[in-house]
Amino acid sequence: MSETEVVRVRGLRKSYGGRVVVDNVDLDVAAGEIVGLIGANGAGKTTTVECLQGLRRPDAGTLRVLGLDPTTQAEALRPRLGSQLQDSALPDRLRVGEAVFLFDATGGGGGEELLEQFGLADRRRSVFAALSGGERQRLFLVLALLNRPRLVILDELTQGLDPAARRSVWAAVDQLRRDGTTVLLVTHELDEAEALCDRVVAMRGGRVLDSGAPIDLVNRYGRQVTIRFTMPPGAAVGGAADAGGTLDRLRRAPGVDEVVDRAGQVTVRGDRPAIAHVGAALVSSGWVPPDLSVQVPNLEDALLDLLRRPDPEPVPEPRPVQPRISHPVSGAQR
Amino acid sequence: MNSAVGRLVRTELTLMKRDPLTLTFVFVFPVVTMLIIGGSFGTDPDPAFDGANPSHWYVASYLTVVVAATGLIMVPVHLASYRERGVLRRFAAAGFPRWSFALAQLVVGLVAIVASSAILLAVAAPVYGVPTVHDWPRVVLAMIAGAVAFVSIGVLLGTLLPSARAAQAVGLILFFPSFLLGAGGPPPNVMGSALRAIAGFLPLTRVTDAVRDPWLGVGTATGSLFVVAGLAAAASVLALRRSAL
Repeated sequence: MSETEVVRVRGLRKSYGGRVVVDNVDLDVAAGEIVGLIGANGAGKTTTVECLQGLRRPDAGTLRVLGLDPTTQAEALRPRLGSQLQDSALPDRLRVGEAVFLFDATGGGGGEELLEQFGLADRRRSVFAALSGGERQRLFLVLALLNRPRLVILDELTQGLDPAARRSVWAAVDQLRRDGTTVLLVTHELDEAEALCDRVVAMRGGRVLDSGAPIDLVNRYGRQVTIRFTMPPGAAVGGAADAGGTLDRLRRAPGVDEVVDRAGQVTVRGDRPAIAHVGAALVSSGWVPPDLSVQVPNLEDALLDLLRRPDPEPVPEPRPVQPRISHPVSGAQR
Repeated sequence: MNSAVGRLVRTELTLMKRDPLTLTFVFVFPVVTMLIIGGSFGTDPDPAFDGANPSHWYVASYLTVVVAATGLIMVPVHLASYRERGVLRRFAAAGFPRWSFALAQLVVGLVAIVASSAILLAVAAPVYGVPTVHDWPRVVLAMIAGAVAFVSIGVLLGTLLPSARAAQAVGLILFFPSFLLGAGGPPPNVMGSALRAIAGFLPLTRVTDAVRDPWLGVGTATGSLFVVAGLAAAASVLALRRSAL
């Protein structure tokens, strides 16, 4: 395991009562990366990271986290990890400042600076029960980052938060990226993964389906773009906006898969280069629709397509990602 | 005191002072009921109380009510609540040793018992007087063994029961019969044979006998002391095994 390799998993398998929830998973996380473990509920994400944290014993596979085996060296490993767990809490009457004291193993873990950084300095005397959802998540981030861990595991970090609180937590994770912390982010919110992660690993049914940079996955699985516009009311055959001629040209344009005309409302579907060809065809017809819109797929569109596919063959992790900047996080679900 | 256990104990002691259930059952309930029951049978030596002053009988007995309230209500509800809400998982993931929370509960439980006992005696002193302790070593040994036994039982209940509500329900169901038959209710001498037989099986009865009898000089309760010591040893071992974070 190299200095830049923070997590290395090979052939991880875990079952509960005969039901396999993680099946032959390989995973690599390099120093400085923000890696998203994504998938629907029950994909095996949380179980995977719980094995990485030494909270669960795998049935099979080899795991190295920060050079340690979480199965046999969990007590040595856990203090080096920063963890934000799914569905966990703090005692209701514990104050923010007391929580920092409790989790600060060294007494100099940077708690005050972190409270300032994450906007909780003025909530130091507030009890946990009085914090808003966003404040709780930011406190969990502070606790996860105490003692300056090399790897932070964040599990469903923004679950149940309103949009403003989500953005606030996202900004905090972005700060981790700038600080160079390695982060393993577990989420089923694909917009979150797309916004925060350098690389995502898609899981379904306990298996890794594919992995890569969000943009690469979008290009791989979400190729189809949708173009919409309205034909002018007076469009007539042979006219400047000859509807029939224009639509025929669009159907023949490279990359166009489908053209649908419903009472003048036109929808064109095709690959990304089709955007340019459709635009060129419209311009050459002498008419540019004023309401033209283009919908390009995002990660959610791409992975919903991936997850719809029946019985996908698992794709092994292609290669360890090159180190960039880093940060850690974790989470998981069964 | 910056070790993981030290920080955990300090934090749990702080939280104990803010917990209404603990304040009610461990600190207020024993004092209030001791004041009421202790004044109900007068102060003249009474054969029903093995010839002791009834008020003194109850003052000595009520120390074990504190033990029972701590072990059957405070600890299990607290622990089950932590398990239910994922607090223990968070502690485990943060690197707290597997045994640290059980040890912290034991320490906090013992501190609660000492503090509540001191309050109870301080309140009893001007009202009924504190009876002279005839056999200090036995009384101290019985209190320590009883406290360890009941706090350990509390840890066991907290790890076995699925939720804080379940722990509270079971704890109260166990506490009140133990309280009425084993420490704070009528003396065994006035109970019917059936109730006396049931009371004889209750762990709290054994703890109360082991504390009260040598305290008041009405017996040594050696058998009860051995039973309580055995219970403490067994329950604490089981509790530590069950309490892995």
